[in-house]
Amino acid sequence: MSTTTQTLAVTPWKQGVKDAIPLLGGYIPVAISFGLISIQSGFSVLETILISAFIYAGASQFLFVAMAASGAPLWLVVIMTLLINARHVVYGPNLSPYLNQDKKWLPLMHGLTDQIFALAHARLPQLPDQARIGWYTGAAVLAWLSWVLGTALGAIAGGELTQRWPLINDVLPFALPALFFVLILPRCNNRLWSLTIAMSAVTAVILKVLGYPNVAIPLAAMSGAVLFYALKNQRILGGQ
Amino acid sequence: MGMSMWLALVSIAVGTYLIRLLPYIWMKRSLAKRQTEDGIGSMPTWLTILGPTMIAAMFGTSLVPTHPDILAWLATGVGVLVTYGVWTRTHSMGLPILCGVVAFGMVTLVF
Repeated sequence: MSTTTQTLAVTPWKQGVKDAIPLLGGYIPVAISFGLISIQSGFSVLETILISAFIYAGASQFLFVAMAASGAPLWLVVIMTLLINARHVVYGPNLSPYLNQDKKWLPLMHGLTDQIFALAHARLPQLPDQARIGWYTGAAVLAWLSWVLGTALGAIAGGELTQRWPLINDVLPFALPALFFVLILPRCNNRLWSLTIAMSAVTAVILKVLGYPNVAIPLAAMSGAVLFYALKNQRILGGQ
Repeated sequence: MGMSMWLALVSIAVGTYLIRLLPYIWMKRSLAKRQTEDGIGSMPTWLTILGPTMIAAMFGTSLVPTHPDILAWLATGVGVLVTYGVWTRTHSMGLPILCGVVAFGMVTLVF
C-alpha cells in the first residue's frame, strides 16, 4: 500500500464519490435483492427502506428479515444479527491512525461497511490529512444512498420485475456470495490465510446444508480461527 | 410490524452503530496515549483473525442455493469461477460481481 500523499485535482468529497463508484456494482444488485426478499418476507416498503437506512449492513439485514419471517425469537434475531456485524469491531481501530480529532467522524462511523473500510484503508493514507474527512464523506454517502435507493427499487418495483422476469428473483441474490467472495479473496495471499479462509467457507457450507443456518457463521468463523492458530503453532514448533 | 419488531430493529441499528463507533473511539484514545501512528500492533490478534473468517463464513452460507438441486449448484459453481476469473484480471469489486451474477443467471436460464 502506497503512503505517498496525493494532491487532489478535485474537491475531496468529489474524489470520494469517484473512488466509490465501482462499489455500486456490488451494492445495487444486492440492495434490490434485499428489497425483494424483505417484501416477500412480509415487511412493508417503508419498513424495508428503514431497515436499510438504519441497520445498513447487508448480511445481517438478510438474516434479520429471514429469521423474523420464520418466527424466530426476537432476542435471538438481535443477537445473531449483532454477532454477524461483530466483525466491524476491527474496522474503526484499523482506520483510526488516519483520522483526525474532528467530531464529525463520530456520525460518519455509521457508514463504515466492509466495502468502505476496504476502500478507506487503501485510500486514506494517500490523502492529505485535511482532505480525508471530505473524501470519506463523499464515498460513504454515495454508498449509503445507493444501498437505500437500491432497496427502495427492489421493494417498490420488485413485484413487477419478478412477474415480468421471474429469473431476476433467482439470479440477483447471487450478488451476495459474489460480494463476499471478492471481499475475502485479497486476504488469500499466503498458504496460512488461504487454508483458514477455505476452512471457514467450507464449514459454513456444510453447516448450512445440514440445516444449521443460524450457527453456521459464528461456528465456521471460529473453526477457521482455530485452524489458523493450529497451523501457526505447528509452523513455530516446526521451526524450532 | 409490531412494537416488539420495531424494538428489535432499533436495537440492531443502535448496536451495529456502536460496534462500528466504540472500537474506533477506544483505539483513538489508546493511540493518543501512546503517541504512536501504528495502531495495528495494538490490536488483539484474535480480532484480526476473526474479521476475515467471519466474511469467509458468510460467503460459505450465502453460496448454498435456496433450492439446492444440481442445476442450482452448477450455476453457483460457474458464478464463483467467473467471479474469480474476472477478479484475478481486474482486482476490482464491481465488474467481478456483475460478471458472476450474469454467468450464474445464464446457466440458470440456459438449463
